[in-house]
Amino acid sequence: MNIARDQKQILLIGFQNTTNWLSEVSGRIASLMILGAVLLTCQMIFVRFVLNASTVWQTEIVVYLMVGATLLGLAFVQKHKGHVNVDLLPIWLNYRSARILAIFTGLTAITVTAVCLFYGFEFWHLVHKRGWTSDTVTAVPLWIPYLSLPIGLGLLLLQLIADWLETLLQQISKAGM
Amino acid sequence: MDPLSLGLVIGIITILVLFSGISVAIGLLTVSAIFLFIFDGVRSLELIPEILFGKLDSFALLSIPMFIIMGASISSTRAGADLYEALERWLTRVPGGLVISNLGACALFAAMSGSSPATCAAIGKMGIPEMRKRGYPDEIATGSIAAGGTLGILIPPSITMIVYGIATETSIGRLFLAGVVPGFLLMGLFMAWSIYATWAAGGRSAMPQTSYSWRERLEILPRVLPFIAIILGVLYTMYGGVATPSETAAVGALLCLIVAMIIYRLTSFSALWNVLRDSTKESVMILFIIAAAGVFSYMLSSLYITQSIAEWISDLDVNRWTLMIAINVFLIIAGFFLPPVAVILMTAPILLPVITGAGFDPIWFAVVLTINMEIGLISPPVGLNLYVINGIAPDISLRTILVGSLPFVACMLIAIALLCLFPSLATWLPDAVMGQAL
Amino acid sequence: RLSHQWSTKDVRHQVAQIVADEVAAANVELDIKIFPSKSLFKPREQYRPLSRGQLDMTVFPLSYAGGQQPSFNLTLMPGLVKNHDHAARLSSSPFMAALQEKMAEDDVMVLVHGYLAGGFVGKEKCITSPSDVAGLQTRAAGKSFEQMLVGAGASIASMASSEIYSAMQTGVLDAANTSSASFVSYRIFEQVACYTPASDIALWFLYQPLLMNKSTFEGLSEEQKSALLKAAAKAESYYLEEAKKQDAASVKVFQEAGVEIAEMTTEDFAAWQAIAQETSYKNFVESVPNGQALLTMALAVK
Ligand code: NA
Ligand code: NA
Repeated sequence: MNIARDQKQILLIGFQNTTNWLSEVSGRIASLMILGAVLLTCQMIFVRFVLNASTVWQTEIVVYLMVGATLLGLAFVQKHKGHVNVDLLPIWLNYRSARILAIFTGLTAITVTAVCLFYGFEFWHLVHKRGWTSDTVTAVPLWIPYLSLPIGLGLLLLQLIADWLETLLQQISKAGM
Repeated sequence: MDPLSLGLVIGIITILVLFSGISVAIGLLTVSAIFLFIFDGVRSLELIPEILFGKLDSFALLSIPMFIIMGASISSTRAGADLYEALERWLTRVPGGLVISNLGACALFAAMSGSSPATCAAIGKMGIPEMRKRGYPDEIATGSIAAGGTLGILIPPSITMIVYGIATETSIGRLFLAGVVPGFLLMGLFMAWSIYATWAAGGRSAMPQTSYSWRERLEILPRVLPFIAIILGVLYTMYGGVATPSETAAVGALLCLIVAMIIYRLTSFSALWNVLRDSTKESVMILFIIAAAGVFSYMLSSLYITQSIAEWISDLDVNRWTLMIAINVFLIIAGFFLPPVAVILMTAPILLPVITGAGFDPIWFAVVLTINMEIGLISPPVGLNLYVINGIAPDISLRTILVGSLPFVACMLIAIALLCLFPSLATWLPDAVMGQAL
Repeated sequence: RLSHQWSTKDVRHQVAQIVADEVAAANVELDIKIFPSKSLFKPREQYRPLSRGQLDMTVFPLSYAGGQQPSFNLTLMPGLVKNHDHAARLSSSPFMAALQEKMAEDDVMVLVHGYLAGGFVGKEKCITSPSDVAGLQTRAAGKSFEQMLVGAGASIASMASSEIYSAMQTGVLDAANTSSASFVSYRIFEQVACYTPASDIALWFLYQPLLMNKSTFEGLSEEQKSALLKAAAKAESYYLEEAKKQDAASVKVFQEAGVEIAEMTTEDFAAWQAIAQETSYKNFVESVPNGQALLTMALAVK
């Protein structure tokens, strides 16, 4: 009995640590992508203004870097509780009800993210299968930027689940005492 | 159900969901998914990831993280303190010189940062302790910085202006210019109140005890030069034919990073990483709200609610100023609870046709809207700047900060009234620089 | 549900409105709700919802979907269409039939054919022959035009059409090419010295049909179908007439703003086309399976 419980505990901690690590790594990648977008935009201005040469591909790549950074950064921001929220109801409720509400909103967030992830993956898969490209001279294979949808939403889902388990466990241990 | 009552139901449910403590972006996604599922069928959910991606797929949005990096890199140095110190050495003879210097520093810093909390933090970190040390009442020390920080979104660059420009397709270059005069007008009002309040509080102790020699005054000037250089560099890039407004932000970000590294010796890898990490956090948070609000407005449009509300308002046939007052009240209330970006994205598609239909200038309205959002930043229950100040000066109660901020809310209301009486306060500069409005 | 990206004053909205009004007048229990000014979908993101039936109709520049069906890139190819009557002949040719087969693969069909023309503007000087653009920072509408302009020695700057005005004003851009309607609606005439409009010969023609989801159409009753087709026919002739008027109207607006009006000669046109042969045509043929056959079909239309 006890051993089984311990194993569960270890699994849970393992899951949470892995998720946290993934979120940190994706946050770093997102930061680097934003930095890359800054430098690439400056390169574009230099090429156009100083060299008076063509800048065909830069804007597109910069936009994809930004979209990618945003989606990859979702889990990182979630981990650091950086997604702004309005906690009027939880403040107004008593402690117990607020916890229950938190568990419920957590579950809602997980569900909605899972739905987005499901259709996001489906969409990415379609783009990949059909070999769609952007309608520009660069003709970027769209599955590359769209890959940030399933990856970013997937990582966000993991982080939401980890956070939710945390809330749930706190609630259970409080109730147990 | 007719679209108007459906709109009402959605409005109420959205408020309830957002107040539950769920993050704003996911809350908007939740409401959108529920109503799309009910009224457009399960297949319409397929569109959500595409719309999320599509909303972010815009070059103009690039400037949001860029302007955040500008503010973050500079505020991670002691540049903010340099700024108000320099101003103070020149303003010692003015009553309440220090609070005036701090407000001036807020306005100047706002010219480099697109966000209000960043401006608040940059000046407040040093400014608030210094003001308290010199005997300024806590209310004034904190309220002035909370209010001064809101200039971050009025004086260009401004994230809310970018978001408004994208949502309504108005020129971002023009919007930026429109915020300049009202920004400094507001700064003037803030200063006037601060002087009066310091004086009324018997602030003899707050009067200058130190006087600076001319040598000391001149000595500090070079420390303000980096600011001037950055602001001039950005202005030249934007209006001098080097780059479009969206591209300019990247130049500003790079300039600020370079200035922070070279002049303020921000060279350690971990310090730079902190700047980048904090900027990423704030940018991703805002961009996610933008993407989710895109799904939300798709849902409203798809259920024909946006169109019906706009038609309903224009059929009301009320006096245009009654309409403007009603819109302002609505915006202030929305701003009490929601972050500016969310308010703008959720209301702009509905309000813009109404505004232009009633003969108001969309550029002018952007300024009024922004000041409304500034009120929201320093008012309960969700006032971002109040929390920032609370973080800087944890020993001052939120209530004191709030009481200190209230008179500044009145200043903002006066500014809105002045803008209504003299619309050219907002439209004169963009017209003068960029020619008559389209 | 019909979605498009233009304002309610635009000719393309009028085309949609005619179809909606005519169908409503036919009283066949078919109600077309128009979502103008990209109030539902972003311009480039209308094709996929259309092909999946989440959107029923759209007025859509077909080349936007060139990344999904590369053959659609032929609907914005320099010098392929010479004038509006030629465009109309192209719309009823085997070439268009071949494209419609491609659309059918995506469950999409054409209700109303239509081409709109455009021209060039120069901030300092007139753009008529290829040598005029050498060394200029130019914004082009469409990738085949970018390729051709690079071939002519221009530098390409890519940006949204809404940014052309301020980019021209501050001097980021020296020249631009887009549709006559966009030149007027973005008030580009305030910022340029010279305008080269579409006249008897023009380089820039963009196919912007009213499309419909094929399954949705086939699911309609016979009366509904015939009412829709009748409305479409009426809209199509209106579209052609208005398309011609647009170019003349844009010239008038530019003239009134004191902008010089230039004209492309037959030699200029031939010079552009020669460059296009080496750049955009060549690129198209290389990158699209069956591309040469399609191009030959299009060029065969006299
Ligand atoms: Na600012
Ligand atoms: Na508030």
